[in-house]
Amino acid sequence: MSNLQAPRAGAKEPSGLRYPTNGKTIYHRPLNRAKAAELSGASFAYLFSEMVSYASKKIESIQDLEKRLNVQGHPIGLKLLDLLLYREPARSQTRPLNIITLLHFIKNNVWQHLFGQAADGLEKSSDPSKPDEYMIIDNEPLVNRYISVPRDMSQLNCAAYVAGIIEGVCDGSAFPARVTAHSVGKQEEGEMWPGRTVFLVKFAPEVMERENFLGKG
Amino acid sequence: MPVQVYSLYIFDRHTECIYSKQWVQPATPASSTLPSTVTDQHRQTNGTELAATAAEQLPPKPRRNKGADDAKLIFGTVFSLRNMVRKLGGDDDAFISFRTAQYKLHYYETPTNLRFALLTEPGALSMRNVLHQIYINLWVEYVVKNPLSPVEHKGGEGVRNEMFELGLDKFIRGLM
Amino acid sequence: MSASKAARVGEEIWKGRVDKVNAELVVLTYGTIVAQLCKDFDSDYVQVNKQLDKMGYNIGLRLIEDYLAKSNTMRRCSNFRETADMLAKVGFKIFLNITPTVTNWTSDNKQFSLVFEENPLADFVELPDDGRAQDELWYSNIFCGVLRGALEMVQMQVEAHFISDVLRGNDTTEMRVSLIRYIDDELPPEDD
Repeated sequence: MSNLQAPRAGAKEPSGLRYPTNGKTIYHRPLNRAKAAELSGASFAYLFSEMVSYASKKIESIQDLEKRLNVQGHPIGLKLLDLLLYREPARSQTRPLNIITLLHFIKNNVWQHLFGQAADGLEKSSDPSKPDEYMIIDNEPLVNRYISVPRDMSQLNCAAYVAGIIEGVCDGSAFPARVTAHSVGKQEEGEMWPGRTVFLVKFAPEVMERENFLGKG
Repeated sequence: MPVQVYSLYIFDRHTECIYSKQWVQPATPASSTLPSTVTDQHRQTNGTELAATAAEQLPPKPRRNKGADDAKLIFGTVFSLRNMVRKLGGDDDAFISFRTAQYKLHYYETPTNLRFALLTEPGALSMRNVLHQIYINLWVEYVVKNPLSPVEHKGGEGVRNEMFELGLDKFIRGLM
Repeated sequence: MSASKAARVGEEIWKGRVDKVNAELVVLTYGTIVAQLCKDFDSDYVQVNKQLDKMGYNIGLRLIEDYLAKSNTMRRCSNFRETADMLAKVGFKIFLNITPTVTNWTSDNKQFSLVFEENPLADFVELPDDGRAQDELWYSNIFCGVLRGALEMVQMQVEAHFISDVLRGNDTTEMRVSLIRYIDDELPPEDD
């Protein structure tokens, strides 16, 4: 079979894409047309469901599953960054230039667009030895709405998908970071937000270095 | 009006009992147990010669697992009754409930052949709406939409998740 | 239920009884699923189509319950023509806010086409320009599986496949749906 693949690049030049005769292509439709469009929450729930079960195949650990969900979210973050900035009024169309602006952009713009409301909180790590860590808090992540995690998988948080999206936005803005989702809601009776999730954003050392340097200047 | 709910059974389209739960024991004389009562009822329907299903072959063998045996008996019975009702009353007719001196069995079936059987005190009014609510508000929301629950529930897998259990228990206790 | 009544029912449910989310969340999620499959199957698009169909099938098995709960129709359709109308005007409406056109019936009433004027899943999409994707990949193939799974749950065995797609450069996006048979109730296993 391998000989079928080889000639593709060399022998035959790709002929380019075909388009419908009515010219109905993505280039002919305004990029904003789907901005305020809605679909049913159930459609999302079912797609996400399949994404999670596909990602659960042949995994070795919960971390493995979360990693896969993160990877699936990442390209969405990259695209959303461009899309959301494009939709900003011209004067605020610049990409975030420091950590705080970036995190506010995620907490407000990204959240508002994807989930219909801003995230519930944004905090800096209180541990002075971890100045590179920030937390975005969502009391009830939309992606977890229908998920009931069994006890034997209690560390699992499927919002790892959203963590991937955040990571994509950070990477796309040239603030490389690792983002992970952690459940912090207590399961006890009467707890206000049992699904409360913290997205821990840990920026790469070079980001901190640049931030410090710019801060001094 | 408060109603005593005894138990709930859910069967899937493969006729397997994928969930059962008991709330209160029926207030019955010690000699009269549930399966025998159901079987009596079943024999009455046999008299019409319409309930020709596997339920007929339920053997009076010693019980290894009472819960599972009850579930099988109940399924055989409601399945026969449902078939009989359709045969006599037409495809749109539905078997809704039957009553004995000890309990009332309420039946609800979806077009996907998910079947619910709820046992209550004999004097209870129709529980069809209760079963419909369990289906649309608890089953669909917490079992069907849960990504961590499998699509089919062989052996009841994925049904006994926390959100479904808590929601169901709260809902049923609210009726009592 | 008549086709026009089905359209009214679909509209009414969509307006009043459906939890909604931003469309782009759904569209981008589907996009990332397809992209991941193309990666995992090393751009073997035939395999990608199959996997999408399989995922759709799993979704269909679940989604039908939601459809029944939302539409409150606890009655089966009386024939395959009614099924087609309910599927297009209620099913697609309440999950995707579109109503594909039901057309091209065969004379035995067992096969029809769904023509998609709009397809939200394909917003933002252009297939890879690798000389193969436009011939091999059915981007929205998940729909076929959804139909197959959902109808199986209400005891209809169907086969569904796309025959054209604007993403491939065709002028329409059309899916062909065929009724294979009605499925009988399963009987309880006989006791030994």
